[in-house]
Amino acid sequence: MSVFIDRSDRVLVQGITGGEGSFWTKHMIDLGTTVVAGVTPGKEGQSVEGVSVFHTVRRAVESHPADAAMLFVPPRFTKDAVFEALDSGIRKIVTIADGIPLHEALEIRAAAMSCGARVVGGNTSGVISPGRAMMGMFPFWIERVYKPGRIGVMTRSGSLTNEVTAMIVRSGFGVSSLIGVGGDPVPGTRFADMLPDFQADEGTDAVVIIGELGGTMEEEVADAIRDGIFRKPLVAFLGGRNAPRGKRMGHAGAIVTGGKGTVEGKTAALRAARAFVASRPSQVGELLAEAFGATAAHTVKGAVAVPGATPGPRAGKETR
Amino acid sequence: MKLHEHEAKEAFAAAGIPVPRSALAADAEGVAKAAREIGFPCVLKSQVLRGGRGKAGLIKVANTEAEARDTARTLFESAHNVKKVLVEEAVVIDREIYLSITVDPVAAEALVLACAEGGVEIEELAAKSPEKIVRERVSLAEGLLPYRARNVAYALGLEGDVAKKTASVLEALWRVFRSNDAELAEINPLFVTKSGSIVAGDGKLALDDNALFRHPGREPGRDYYDSAAAFEAAAEGIPYLQFDGDISLMCAGAGLTTVVYDLIVDEGGSIANYLEFGGPNYKKAVRAMELCLKNDPQVILIVTFGTIARADIMAEGIAEAIGKLKPSCPIVACIRGTGEEKAVEILKAAGLEPLFDTEEAVRKAVAFANEARANEARAHKARGRESDAAAGASTDTVPGSASGAAKEGTR
Repeated sequence: MSVFIDRSDRVLVQGITGGEGSFWTKHMIDLGTTVVAGVTPGKEGQSVEGVSVFHTVRRAVESHPADAAMLFVPPRFTKDAVFEALDSGIRKIVTIADGIPLHEALEIRAAAMSCGARVVGGNTSGVISPGRAMMGMFPFWIERVYKPGRIGVMTRSGSLTNEVTAMIVRSGFGVSSLIGVGGDPVPGTRFADMLPDFQADEGTDAVVIIGELGGTMEEEVADAIRDGIFRKPLVAFLGGRNAPRGKRMGHAGAIVTGGKGTVEGKTAALRAARAFVASRPSQVGELLAEAFGATAAHTVKGAVAVPGATPGPRAGKETR
Repeated sequence: MKLHEHEAKEAFAAAGIPVPRSALAADAEGVAKAAREIGFPCVLKSQVLRGGRGKAGLIKVANTEAEARDTARTLFESAHNVKKVLVEEAVVIDREIYLSITVDPVAAEALVLACAEGGVEIEELAAKSPEKIVRERVSLAEGLLPYRARNVAYALGLEGDVAKKTASVLEALWRVFRSNDAELAEINPLFVTKSGSIVAGDGKLALDDNALFRHPGREPGRDYYDSAAAFEAAAEGIPYLQFDGDISLMCAGAGLTTVVYDLIVDEGGSIANYLEFGGPNYKKAVRAMELCLKNDPQVILIVTFGTIARADIMAEGIAEAIGKLKPSCPIVACIRGTGEEKAVEILKAAGLEPLFDTEEAVRKAVAFANEARANEARAHKARGRESDAAAGASTDTVPGSASGAAKEGTR
C-alpha cells in the first residue's frame, strides 16, 4: 500500500530528453518505478534509459497506456503540459517546475479539480514511496533520509524535507509515502486534499506535515482533523515562526500579509485540533513516539490500534 | 513585485478607470511646477512602497505653490527614501468604496472583494464585520462577466449611475488584473465625488514575479530595494534580506533557511542577512559569500541539505570563496545531501570543521557571535581606558568628555 505512487502505476515522463528529465528518469527506474514512455516534441524515435520517446502525449498513450505523468518541463510551458496530460485521460500528474505563473497555477488547479485529477506541485521535489517508486527528484539512496516505514509525510519545502525526514528516521521510524505539495502560493494539491488518502492507506500509521508561514494549508489540516476526515496521529513542523512580517522568506507562498498566515495562528489551530506541533526538527521524532504512546518504533502498530490513542494537546513541554 | 501608486494608476487609466489629474515630480522645484499646473488645493503623495503613508506623514495637502515647494522638500528629505512625489488634484468626496481582485488558492479562482466603506484596513474590517464584505469568485477560464460586476455593485447598496459606473470600474479592474498577471489589483479608496463621478483615489498593483517575462520593462529598479546589496542579490536571482544582527545566513533551500533563522532567534542570536543560494544558484557560492560579507557579519553560517543542489559542488564553491575573499570572521558549515561524502573532504581541506546537525551548527554560530561581541566589548573597554589615561595626561582635555567616550565604548 502507498499513497499516490506505487510500482503498479504506469508513468509517462514529459520532457524526458532534457538534462533533468533523463537523469531523474534513470533514478525513478532504479527505485522500481514503472516508466512506460517519454514525450518530447520533435524527438519521437529516440529512447532514454530504454524508454521510447514520442512527439505528443496522445501518440505515446496510444501504444503505451499511462496512469501518471511526471513533468520535467520549464515553468512557462507547464500549463500546456498539464493540460496535454489531462486531455489524454491521465489523472495523476507531478510537476517540479519552479516559477509557474500565478494565474496559470490557478488554471491548472481549477482544471484538475473539474475532472477529478490530482496535480502535485509545482516548486516541489515530487512524490516518493521509499523502497517502491517515485515521481520526482529524491536522493533515495541516502538511507538516513529515505528509509521505508509507516509515517506519511507532506511538505511545502524540499530542503526542509531532507532535514525533517532525517529526524524521523533517526528516531527509529521510516516513511510510507512522501508528498511534496511544493512552495508555491497556489499549489495544484493542498495538504488537506491528500489527508483522506493517508487516512485510507493501511501502510500509514501517522502523518508528519512540514509547513511554513503564509497561506492557510495548515489551518485546513486542523479543520480536517476536527471534522474527523483524518483520525490518525499528526505531527507538524512549521518554519518561519520568527520571520519578520511582510517579508517574503524565499518561497513565494511564505509571506505573512495582513496578519494572516502566521505560524502562531497555524500552531494554535493545529493544537486546538489535538495535533502535535514540534518547535525544532529534532522534536518531530520525539513527538511521533509520544503520539503513539511509546518510544520504540516496533510498538507503533499496536499503539494506534488502541481506541482513544489520538494524541492529546501537550501543555507546558513546548518551547513555544 | 509591488508597483508604485503612479504606476498602478497608469495601468488603471489605460484600462479606462478614471484617475485624478496628476503629475510626477522628482524634486521640490518639480513639485511646485506640477502643483501650479494641477491647481490648488492639491495633494502631494510620496511614491514609496510602504503602507500607511497617510499616518506616516507621507501624504500632504498644499494650498499654495510655496507650501507645495516647502512640503515637497520635507518629503524628499524624510527618512523614507522618497524619490518621487505624485501631485494630484484634490477631489471633493461624497463617499469611499473598497474594491480589489486577488486569488483564492483553495477554490482556484480569482476573488473579488468589495466594501461600501472604503479607505479602511480591509483585513481588520473583514475580521470585525465580515458581513460588510462582498465576495464574488471568478473563474479565470470564464472571466469576469458583466453580471458579476453588477452583482457586486448592487450588493454594495449602490444605486443609479454610481452603481453602473462602479460595475464598469470593476470590469476594467479585471482587465488590469488579467493583462498584468497581478497577484493583487486594489482600489482603496474608490472615490464617489459630490458631483456623482467615480475616481480611483489610490491604487495598488502587485505583479506576479513568475510572469514578469511576459512584461518586459517591468523589472524592478534600485528604488524597489532597501539596500544596494539587496538590489545586487536580486539581479543575481539570489533571495536576500538584510537585517542588522551578527550572523550571516548562507543557506540553500527557502524552507531550511527560514528554519535556520527561527533557530537562531530561539538561541538568542541575531541575523545579519538572510541569503538562500539553493535551487538554480547552488554554483554561486563565491557571489553569495561576497553578499554576506557586505554586512560585516560576526560569523557566516552555512546550512544545506540539497538534492539537486549537490553538496560537493557547493563545498567546492565555498572553498573557492574562502580562498578568494579571505573572510576574517569564522565560518560554520553544515553541508549535507547528494555528494556529501566528497563535500566533507573538500571542507576539511579548506580548513573548516564539517557539521551534520542543523541545530548544533546554529548553537555553534550563536556561540561564535557571542564570543566576538564579548571580545569587541573588551577591546572597546581597553581602548576606553587608554583614552582615559590619555585624557589624564593631557591638561587641556575636559575630563567629562573623556569618560563619556569610554562609556560609549563599552555600550
